[in-house]
Amino acid sequence: MADMTAETTATRQVSFSALRPSREAVVGTLAVLAFLVLWQIAPSMGWVNGRFTSRPTEVFFAAIDVFRKDDFLFHARISLTEFVAGFALAIIVSIPLGVLLGTSKIARYLIDPPLMALYIAPTLVLLPIMVIWLGIDMAPKIAVVFLGAVFPIVLNTMAGMSEADPRFLRMARSFGATKLDIFMRVLVPGSLPALLTGIRLAVGRAVLGVIVGELFVSQAGIGYQINLYGSAMRIDRLLVYVLIVSAFGYTLTILVRSVENRIRDWRSK
Amino acid sequence: MAQIEIRDLGIDYRKPKSNEVFSAVDNVELSIEKGEFVTIVGSSGCGKSTLLMAVAGLVNLSRGSIKIDGKQVTGPGPDRAVVFQEASLLPWRSVRGNVKFGLEMQRWNGGDLNERAMQMIRLVGLSRFSDYHPHQLSGGMRQRVNIARALAVDPDVLLMDEPFGALDAQTREIMGTELLRIWERHKKTALFVTHDIDEAIFLADKIVVMGRNPGHIKEVIKVDLPRPRDEAILDSDDFHSLRKRLRAHLAEDMSSMQLVKEVA
Amino acid sequence: MIVELFYRRQALILGTLSMIGLLVFWQIAVDAGLINPFFISTPSQVWTEFLVQFEDGQVAANVGATLYCFVWSMGLATVVGIVLGMLAGWFRDVESALEPFIWFKYSAPTVAFYPLFIAWLGYGTPTIIAIAFLFALTPIYANTLSGIKNIDRDLAKAARSFGAKPLDIFLQVALPGSVPVMMAGLRLGVGRALTGVVVAELFGANAGLGYAITYYGQLMQTTKMMVSIVIVILLGVILTQILSFLESKTDSWRVDSGR
Ligand SMILES: Nc1ncnc2c1ncn2[C@@H]1O[C@H](COP(=O)(O)OP(=O)(O)OP(=O)(O)O)[C@@H](O)[C@H]1O
Ligand SMILES: [Mg+2]
Repeated sequence: MADMTAETTATRQVSFSALRPSREAVVGTLAVLAFLVLWQIAPSMGWVNGRFTSRPTEVFFAAIDVFRKDDFLFHARISLTEFVAGFALAIIVSIPLGVLLGTSKIARYLIDPPLMALYIAPTLVLLPIMVIWLGIDMAPKIAVVFLGAVFPIVLNTMAGMSEADPRFLRMARSFGATKLDIFMRVLVPGSLPALLTGIRLAVGRAVLGVIVGELFVSQAGIGYQINLYGSAMRIDRLLVYVLIVSAFGYTLTILVRSVENRIRDWRSK
Repeated sequence: MAQIEIRDLGIDYRKPKSNEVFSAVDNVELSIEKGEFVTIVGSSGCGKSTLLMAVAGLVNLSRGSIKIDGKQVTGPGPDRAVVFQEASLLPWRSVRGNVKFGLEMQRWNGGDLNERAMQMIRLVGLSRFSDYHPHQLSGGMRQRVNIARALAVDPDVLLMDEPFGALDAQTREIMGTELLRIWERHKKTALFVTHDIDEAIFLADKIVVMGRNPGHIKEVIKVDLPRPRDEAILDSDDFHSLRKRLRAHLAEDMSSMQLVKEVA
Repeated sequence: MIVELFYRRQALILGTLSMIGLLVFWQIAVDAGLINPFFISTPSQVWTEFLVQFEDGQVAANVGATLYCFVWSMGLATVVGIVLGMLAGWFRDVESALEPFIWFKYSAPTVAFYPLFIAWLGYGTPTIIAIAFLFALTPIYANTLSGIKNIDRDLAKAARSFGAKPLDIFLQVALPGSVPVMMAGLRLGVGRALTGVVVAELFGANAGLGYAITYYGQLMQTTKMMVSIVIVILLGVILTQILSFLESKTDSWRVDSGR
């Protein structure tokens, strides 16, 4: 439920037609345009200090600059590496753990409290200690991405497994299914949507982890650049980088969601 | 000897979160011949499902024994297949996938799984829908799939727990006739739980009437209506008198239920 | 009765055991020389240090500063999130207009704006509150929106057939019906507001738990740092528990009134 906003886009019925775009799309576009215009003229009208707000046009030109020079690819590669490493590690650890917790009540009772505490608590506070343990290179960022991503996946996998419909289990047993059969043919496919939900929620936390980790202490990466331009008050470039990160997180979330929806679609409602 | 022999059967449930026991079924004696169609009726909560699940090997017996072809029932087996009331189709599998499920679980080696599944799907009249997923089917169609899945594993005994309970009256009647048509072909022993008196009579060679507290058999009624049967039989005199008898039984049970409520 | 109690408490008993086990393991692993205490300290050292920090008022000061920012940001996020969520839930166009911004907010790393906020609002408390506010806003807004939007259609239709006006329907049907979903949004918001405060404090503050963590982190004083980390984790659990409790209250209230 953490991201109901997303839910509303998905459930809305989109009636695309070449001639008449939906009212929502028009209103949304108008709102964004209005915001851009306001943002553009506000400094000239003396309402705000342009040095602190920049302008859409400035951001646009800064974007061109960033992509052409500024070692963008170099920094992007570093951040992406941290993201992928941390996320992959989280998936490798969390799925088996989620399965264990979802299928064994005792394990669940034992591990649930510390797990919940770490899920609720801001894992980003562990960043300084990660820096002490792992230095200031990629490792602490990978660790923070891992910590951010691992809990949503574990908890959702666990829920998907342990909340399997008991009627399915009984049905499978009536045909003489073994424990392994039940696991492979009922529990795994049954908990796939929940697992994907976990992964989707993990994306946002992982992206935040990379950026916060790099903002905190780093020598390269998108977060490093954000920090650099932030302290230099180059708001235009700062915004370019923030927009890039947003676009990345947005795209990935939408991607996972579309897989999720596809799977849910050819299942029951 | 009969095919299914139930002797002095008793099943206790432990009440949730305590160690009190609750007797759901007690002192049940029942013999079922090979190829017989037996229906079980009784008011809600009298232990019909429990009895059926015991024959399926899905609940543990507390007392007595169940034997099938002389062999003690200790768990589910390939000689029996269950048709559940509802929601037992796997939503992520197609109709064919669902029908194949039982075959896969029993490591079926009587030829190609797909072919066998399609054959069963044709039998229940769903050939056109074999690639559909359960949520795209009506309730009646889903129960056909359920039946196809059970028949696919070629069991000796077919166990059905209110398979048409969630259907409307018309669909229910059609499904009943359909079930008889399929059953006439294979003459598998069938144990069929229902709430519906007409359904119980229409299908049965033998009706088991159950009472409650704890679940026990009140009477076993033979049905000698001629086969094959169709809807016309519903208006026959024999049918009417059977219906009257069953009604009286169930009314008795309802009034005793009322009494329990008032005392409590 | 006793058996029932055990079953009810099984989760609690095993959970407590595992927590204690974890602490004991931590202590023993360090004492036995398996882990260098410089990296992780030990529970006993953390406890001793906690008492010291408690005595000299550091704990109170840091918790106070963090809670101050937390309360402000959570309060603002609650008001803004619920008002916007209601408007967006009731008026389709408001929702459409807000949607692009909410999406941007959802996928942008909020913390990246902290130089901007420092420029606009100044160093310290105001910036921390602003960032935490943005952290907490999304779930509160989103849940209110969905709560209002998914009102009980049948109930609304029934109300309309009795001649209820849209405002009546909003007040009598939509609002009460969406309270539980809103409460869930607040519960999620609490966790995120706390994250926002502490993370913002990591980057720029003069007081607060996040500040203490970075401060001692830079000095490489693991034990002192651990005190604040543990407090943050406990705070997160306690605050969320409080909201879960309130949530269950409103839920049961709703069921009762529904009868
Ligand atoms: N798993 C269980 N644990 C404890 N009690 C149970 C369990 N399953 C059933 N019971 C109890 O056993 C009794 C008989 O249940 P059963 O489901 O067999 O009744 P039924 O005749 O099939 O009822 P219905 O017609 O409503 O399906 C009921 O009182 C029920 O509450
Ligand atoms: Mg039943």
